[in-house]
Amino acid sequence: MRMNRKLQLVISSLTAIVFAVLLSMAAMGASSPKGNDGKGRYYFRQTCKECHTKGAKGGEITPLTKTQAQWRSYFLKGKHGGGSETLIKVMADTQLLDVQTYLINHAADSLQPETCGK
Amino acid sequence: MDRRRFLKTTSGTAGAGAIASSLSCSLRKRGTVSRGGRREVPTTCELCPNKCSVVAVVEDGVIRKLNPNPENPKSRGMLCARGNAGFLQAYDPNRLKRPLIRAGARGEGKWREVSWDEAFDYTAQKLTAIKEKYGPQGVLWSSTEAFAEIFFKNLGLAFGSPNIVRHPTLCLSSVNLAYSTTFGTVPSFDLLNANYVIMAGANRFEALITPDTMDLIDSTMNRKTRLICLDPRFTVTASKADQWFPIKPGTDMAFILAMLHVVIAEGRHDKEFVVNYCTGFEQLTEHVKPYTPEWAEKETEIPARDIGRIAREFSDAAPRAVFYAGRRSSWYQNDFQMRRAQAILNAIVGNWDRQGGMVPNAKIALGEYMFLPWDDPKAPRVDEMDKNFPLAAQGDGAYLKLRENVLAGSPYPVKGWMIAKQDPLNALPEQAKTLRMIEQMDFIAAIDIQMSDSAWYADVLFPESTYLERWDPIEVMSGIWPVVVLRQPVIKPLHDTKPCLEIVQGLAKRLGLQQYFDFTIEQWNEAAAKELPIEMPLEYLKKHGVFTPPGGPKYGATLNPEHRFVTKSGKIELYSERLQENGHDPLPVYHSRPEPPYGKFRLVIGRKAFYTHANSTSNPWLFDFAPENRLWINPASARSAGVADGDQVEVASSVGAVQLRAKVTQEIRPDCVFMLHGFGKRSPWLKRAYNRGGSDAALLETAWDKVSGNAAMHETFVKVRKV
Repeated sequence: MRMNRKLQLVISSLTAIVFAVLLSMAAMGASSPKGNDGKGRYYFRQTCKECHTKGAKGGEITPLTKTQAQWRSYFLKGKHGGGSETLIKVMADTQLLDVQTYLINHAADSLQPETCGK
Repeated sequence: MDRRRFLKTTSGTAGAGAIASSLSCSLRKRGTVSRGGRREVPTTCELCPNKCSVVAVVEDGVIRKLNPNPENPKSRGMLCARGNAGFLQAYDPNRLKRPLIRAGARGEGKWREVSWDEAFDYTAQKLTAIKEKYGPQGVLWSSTEAFAEIFFKNLGLAFGSPNIVRHPTLCLSSVNLAYSTTFGTVPSFDLLNANYVIMAGANRFEALITPDTMDLIDSTMNRKTRLICLDPRFTVTASKADQWFPIKPGTDMAFILAMLHVVIAEGRHDKEFVVNYCTGFEQLTEHVKPYTPEWAEKETEIPARDIGRIAREFSDAAPRAVFYAGRRSSWYQNDFQMRRAQAILNAIVGNWDRQGGMVPNAKIALGEYMFLPWDDPKAPRVDEMDKNFPLAAQGDGAYLKLRENVLAGSPYPVKGWMIAKQDPLNALPEQAKTLRMIEQMDFIAAIDIQMSDSAWYADVLFPESTYLERWDPIEVMSGIWPVVVLRQPVIKPLHDTKPCLEIVQGLAKRLGLQQYFDFTIEQWNEAAAKELPIEMPLEYLKKHGVFTPPGGPKYGATLNPEHRFVTKSGKIELYSERLQENGHDPLPVYHSRPEPPYGKFRLVIGRKAFYTHANSTSNPWLFDFAPENRLWINPASARSAGVADGDQVEVASSVGAVQLRAKVTQEIRPDCVFMLHGFGKRSPWLKRAYNRGGSDAALLETAWDKVSGNAAMHETFVKVRKV
């Protein structure tokens, strides 16, 4: 029972930290979050794509699914699965920051000039 | 003479195409064929960015010839002169055959053959020393597009350097940025089905013979597509066009703005398309009012009545009408805005995603070998992309600005240079500055198949296996009809060479970065192929060399008013708020270019389809087509300079001088002179090309497009005198 309360405390503190991070990023307005884009792509593909590909139970989601403002709002709310659970349950907070960076940097209205080759 | 010989070769290629048609049937049935000592192996060409599919005929371990692989609709059963001659790379007696470490002064040409271990150890030690003294940002990693480029680039990033500089700012970055800004993507031009094509400065019948060149030839010859050519030279493309206008150099944008004026003033735009898919039409309408054909005539020296007529013909032919973006580099410091004007003109006549118009490239999803990436570099880029070119592709860098900052040691020193499949001494304008950049480096290593001019000045050389001796990552060639291609070895490496991945792994191991490259090319390709909708995809690719999804080209997928373009507004942006927010003109504003002063000429440059940039001039078959470049000069200009046809002349700009022979010809305007790119080689190992003709890189001054950072290659004035 004591273990559970400790766990609850840890979870609520972590959630508070994540929300503080997300709120501070929201306050930065249109600037990009300071996570690691490359790692965000890796975590997104490794964790999110399992359910969020075409035909899978979560439906296809890519960075282009939302605009930058919509992604910011999504991460500010911090809810996953139609609001049934918090994002922190899906992924560690540092990974969330990286995924958020990746999704915002490549959102439907982001600046994505094409290049020659890769 | 050149043209005749080239046509002879391409006819040969067409013959080879017919042979290959029957060959492809056998391939479809049996894949890689082995009969006695004879094998036929499908793989992918590397002689240019088009990456056509080929079938190598190998007898007793020796490549006898390369045939086109008609299974690839992108290469359409064609292999150009370069593609045919490509196998001579493997048998070049002067190629790089084993690792070398410099034994004398830089550029002295004294080398010591070493083992791979010694080359890796020595390089890792030098890179580590620079990292300890200057930080990881003290090493520059530069490369040009290639299937395996990703491994080299990733090594630089894993090393911790933000300074990865790729080729696009010497290539198409102004085009890519202008079309990305307008449409959120860079489309293909459906030349096969277009009825009206305008080419400005693009010389597709002569400078780059790829399958879409053949489309255009087919269209103009058989379907009577109208081709309008604007070029200060009477090029081969001009000779095949319905009309050629020797436009005054640097005024293309004036021509386009006047076309926009006519199309809008006469209500010839596609009104429904503009309403449904575009933003900023009202601002555009106001903006182009002053740009009348009469105004443009004074700038371009093209009669106003012709500009008006072409605007009407173009809009009448739409949507099967394109103002072709071309596959050429930037010429002027306003190149991005000129490309924007093109993109806007194409947009308002409604040729987007329509047959014969501009079509967004279709892609095929590949799988991915997953590994956890590295931490982000801590230092900013040395070229300060975020400040200087915030809208451009940040990861590509801006080569000329980067060179300026490296030479100035600002904002920090860069003292190491790793180079892969690139020859900066010939690719960058102002060769003397590139030489100064080389001089100030503590260490330089190059990965190449040949002793390029830049390799000649390196400290360590890693010999790469040629494209016919190695595996490379599977690639998607996106386009109107995308395909997946595989490059596999046709023969075993003839010398002590390695593919790029193994060179990168050898260095990574010694730099403590092996965890990022702990895979084989087989594992990489298996992961990439596994998502293809075919059984045993990798085996299929090994057998066929190419996977083509069924169904052919598709048009109109984005023609749905609900479709969101990848732009700030979600629409096609005629007026760009993003440009305005970043201090650039939101609509293209014309500024006249300076005229050449008395006694000087504008230097214009170009290419021949025999050569890829500056790197195949020593290929024996290709060299025979054009063993040297000449300076094209108009007879009136030649008279005033005292020059006769065939004379050796000195061409001098503010940054250098070269000598070459003059070609006195009516086929160029009197205010400019022309020379082919890629000659005047410094490396004696390039036996044929060494010291032949003059180097344009030695003459061109440093200038770049203000938005993209793309090198501006036609901003240089030169003097010409007989020697």
